[in-house]
Amino acid sequence: MATLAMRTGLDFRPANVYGVWLRHWLAFKGGWLVDSTAIVIEPLFVLLAVGFGIGKFVEDIQGNLSYQEFVAPGIIAANAMWPALFNCSWGAYQRMENHKIFETMISAPVNLSELAAGEIVWGATRAAMTTAAVLLVATLLGLINSSLAILILPLGFLVGLVFGGMGLVYASIAPTQHSMMLIFTLIGTPIFFFSGAFFPIASLHTGLQPIAWAMPLTGAVHVARGLSTGDLGMSHLYGLLYMIGLASVFYPLSFMLLRRKLII
Amino acid sequence: MIRYTVRVGETPPLKDPIPPSFPPLRFRLFVWSACNFLMSDIQTNPIIKAVGLHKDYGEFHAVKGIDFEVMPGEIFGMLGPNGAGKTTTMRMLSSVSPITAGQIFIDGLNVAEEPRKVRDRIGVVAQHDGLDPDLNVHQNLVTYARYFSITGKAAEDRAREMLEFFGMDQRADSGIHTLSGGMKRRLTLARAFMTRPKVLILDEPSTGLDPQARNRVWEQLFRIREAGATILMSTHYMEEAAQLCDRLVIMDYGKILSRGTPDDLVMEHAGSLTAVIRPTNGSGPAVRSKLESMGKDVRERGAALVVHGPEELRKELGQIDNAAVRFRVSTLEDVFLNLTGRELRDE
Ligand SMILES: Nc1ncnc2c1ncn2[C@@H]1O[C@H](COP(=O)(O)OP(=O)(O)OP(=O)(O)O)[C@@H](O)[C@H]1O
Ligand SMILES: [Mg+2]
Repeated sequence: MATLAMRTGLDFRPANVYGVWLRHWLAFKGGWLVDSTAIVIEPLFVLLAVGFGIGKFVEDIQGNLSYQEFVAPGIIAANAMWPALFNCSWGAYQRMENHKIFETMISAPVNLSELAAGEIVWGATRAAMTTAAVLLVATLLGLINSSLAILILPLGFLVGLVFGGMGLVYASIAPTQHSMMLIFTLIGTPIFFFSGAFFPIASLHTGLQPIAWAMPLTGAVHVARGLSTGDLGMSHLYGLLYMIGLASVFYPLSFMLLRRKLII
Repeated sequence: MIRYTVRVGETPPLKDPIPPSFPPLRFRLFVWSACNFLMSDIQTNPIIKAVGLHKDYGEFHAVKGIDFEVMPGEIFGMLGPNGAGKTTTMRMLSSVSPITAGQIFIDGLNVAEEPRKVRDRIGVVAQHDGLDPDLNVHQNLVTYARYFSITGKAAEDRAREMLEFFGMDQRADSGIHTLSGGMKRRLTLARAFMTRPKVLILDEPSTGLDPQARNRVWEQLFRIREAGATILMSTHYMEEAAQLCDRLVIMDYGKILSRGTPDDLVMEHAGSLTAVIRPTNGSGPAVRSKLESMGKDVRERGAALVVHGPEELRKELGQIDNAAVRFRVSTLEDVFLNLTGRELRDE
């Protein structure tokens, strides 16, 4: 039955994902200067302040790695989180609740599985844009030691998929517009600071380390650092798989929750 | 010599009473019945059909078992006070809201089973505009068309055509927030027409429009219908329903109270003539009982009393003591108020 196909996502039109993505691209083009300023300048400030300000007072980490070289890939990976999280939580909530755009889309022949995919892939696109900008600056500053670092770009995209999915899940369960801010303060900020971007997880209390490793960004920071130094091992593969696993859980969860919220 | 043999019980041959014609009668009869046969297929197949439709929101019954059929090419109206269940019904029709019980068929498709195919065929104007504030006027149209696989030049041409059609071609590059309420509504209609849908489901399409824009929209709805589309619409404007709708239903509290053509409904529920009786100060009760003693069905309408009836009412109620009487043609508004009463909804 067709409804079964719809429920299981078998009735899937990829062209609609592109349609939703294109909607975001058009909207982004309309105000790109403002938007990109926010998502590029901010990580650069962090990179400069933390890397060269605080970094002066920090000894080399993990043998011959300067603090700047240590922190740069972490900051790149961690900053990929914000644009995706913002687009798919706050942005999606506005579009859904205040402007009823989701309702417009689903009264056209767009299914929620395609809508959610379009939202998340756009979030990931924004994440990749930020990643590219910060990666370029870090490279120019001489903080990147390996040409493998170009792979941080698709990694940024993956970070975007994870946090886009997470943001959309939250947007579909948040009771009020006010509560949307909580995802940034209660979830975004701790993840940003405790995923090993700014200091090695090994320096945390041993009881806290598993929590830090379980955070959805930790794998990405770890892999980014490996790619930046060119020093890769099995742990990086596990980190990558963990990220892929999270993305593939958040995505179906997001459209199932959206269905519960919108199809009433 | 000619001999006639006349048998008993047999009438002599008569001249054909119908003068010979071309094409011959038998042929005309054949064509007529063939047309009937072909038409009957259209006449008996509604393009929208709702059977025993129910909708519950949790414990609350918003729609309580309604049935209706809309024929191809019709403009079908849904009237009803706030909260009657119009939007709820239309959202079920456009497959964005699950049906609690009952069935809907659109263009032969079961909405519950093939929602996406239904949405491929219909155009929807929701009660809220649902316009995209991050896109300009033109982008709103082409972005929407893309969801129906209308892209590139086809989408551009259609968007231009629609903006002209709705007198908005000067505003193609405007932001949504710079549009007036009426313009937003027109853009929403333009968006629904982008895809040349077979069936249009319009929830209060002309709410918030000025008389000029509303007339424009009516004109466009007629043109769309001439192009072969079927329109199901809700409205709070009785004048609009009377002018536009071939048939309509009046709903309240999730049920259909009455249905028919606007004229039939007026004749059935408000007669042809309405006497509006304005009692002078303080004489309301006396006038009322006088009218009632004449066997009239008296209804309160604002500060006045109204009585419906045939033309003879003019003579009967020409002179009423302590009251000013005025006669006017009965309208759909009379029908609506008679059927749904005076209480405010949503309290
Ligand atoms: N999502 C919902 N949850 C609970 N109740 C709802 C929901 N949507 C509508 N209702 C209720 O269902 C009833 C019918 O609402 P509906 O919007 O269909 O009315 P309507 O005829 O369109 O009214 P209006 O003329 O004001 O647009 C109302 O009592 C309304 O409060
Ligand atoms: Mg309504």
